[in-house]
Amino acid sequence: MLFVHETHQVIGRHAGEFEDLYRLGWMGALAEGDDARLLWFLNHAMGSGPAYQVVTITAVADGRAWERLAARMVTGDLVDLATRLDAMRHEVEGKLLLPVAWSALQAIDLTVVPTDGAEHGLSLYMQDTGWPDAPLDDYIELWDVDYWRVMRETPPERRLLDVQACFQVGHGSGIRPEAILMQKIMNVTTLGNLLTRVERYDATTWPGTYMAKGLEIRDQWESKLLRTSAWSPLW
Amino acid sequence: MLFVHQVHQVVGTEAERFEEAFREGWMESLAKGSDARLLWYFDLAHGSGLAYRVVTVTAVEDGAAWERLAEQLAWGDLRSWARHLDGLQHGSTGRVLTTLPWSPPPVALADVPTEPVEREPVMYMEDTMWPFPGKLREYIVAAGAHYRPALEAEGSQMKMHIELALQTVLGGGRSPEVILLQQLSSLPRLLHLLTNDLTAAVVGPGSWMDEALALRDQWRSKLLRTAPWSPLP
Repeated sequence: MLFVHETHQVIGRHAGEFEDLYRLGWMGALAEGDDARLLWFLNHAMGSGPAYQVVTITAVADGRAWERLAARMVTGDLVDLATRLDAMRHEVEGKLLLPVAWSALQAIDLTVVPTDGAEHGLSLYMQDTGWPDAPLDDYIELWDVDYWRVMRETPPERRLLDVQACFQVGHGSGIRPEAILMQKIMNVTTLGNLLTRVERYDATTWPGTYMAKGLEIRDQWESKLLRTSAWSPLW
Repeated sequence: MLFVHQVHQVVGTEAERFEEAFREGWMESLAKGSDARLLWYFDLAHGSGLAYRVVTVTAVEDGAAWERLAEQLAWGDLRSWARHLDGLQHGSTGRVLTTLPWSPPPVALADVPTEPVEREPVMYMEDTMWPFPGKLREYIVAAGAHYRPALEAEGSQMKMHIELALQTVLGGGRSPEVILLQQLSSLPRLLHLLTNDLTAAVVGPGSWMDEALALRDQWRSKLLRTAPWSPLP
């Protein structure tokens, strides 16, 4: 299974139309077939980064399905939709993601992904994108062994987040080395503490052990705080 | 057919080993199957841009073949090669592309050389364009109707021809974006372009340069030189 990750720089005055077109046009068009489903529609939380930036993740059954979908947008029945979306954004940066071996999200049953646009509460995600200096595999292993396995043991009331997926970029479709964590924020109070408290990490206890070891592999990453729309299929 | 276009930021001290990894690792690994072939290995000409930049273009049969290749690199038999390459480059930025309707047809994978050849380097001007929002398709049509014929005309300023005209596919990089791989056949014409202002005839009303401004005003040219062993010249 492939995951199409897109970061859309939306033209501000078209933000509402863009979201409507994604819900009715893109999600609706995908729902008519079996090749793909929109999973997440996320707005970059204003006040935490760029304005009018939207992140979407679409699951695609396999390489053949992706090629069919891509061709529909270039020469097929989705040309008009693609043109209308293009007119509402400055640009889009896309990549094709593969789940890493330990990711909770692997293949997903596309038939159970909601396509009705039903409204629900909002969720906040922290999307971390990292660029190691070391081989990519070492970074992915660090995230598994020294980050997520340890955090999973934290009592739920103290746990900041839940790693719902970890991806690497598929060949030639973006930056290498790069890996992505999709993390659902479970405790907003803990997030508030992370944002406002000065932490001096002890390198002998977690999370200081992870912070120290991480610097041997990378010192550049970016966190984005992304909020699901009220109708996002996953949230 | 799909095309994987990669710009590699090579570690300067590892430049030779990087090239060897592509010539003996990548090209030969792909040659064992029928899914993909390395087409071009280019160096960005020193003196014209960023140092130690390599551009590679790999043709992939179709979406299923791309998925197999991506899995080989992520957790299959090419994983150790990818890990080796990670040590030879600071990073790479890739695109997955398809041909424009008016692009010259790509070479069949079966006809791509897989043994290292030795030939004189060939110069390319690679142009990457970013049309205005909603103007991608208009730009592609206009470029096919006006730019391509002008390049091929007898009195053309540049003496170059388009080898491939490409656009990004869903999830394959930045969009809207169009890439033209153009082979140069006259160094004096290139040097004239670099050392002289464009004439009124080239940029004035009614010209492609003028009319295309309604569709885009940002692009980037890269001067690329094929390696002597690059499968395609």
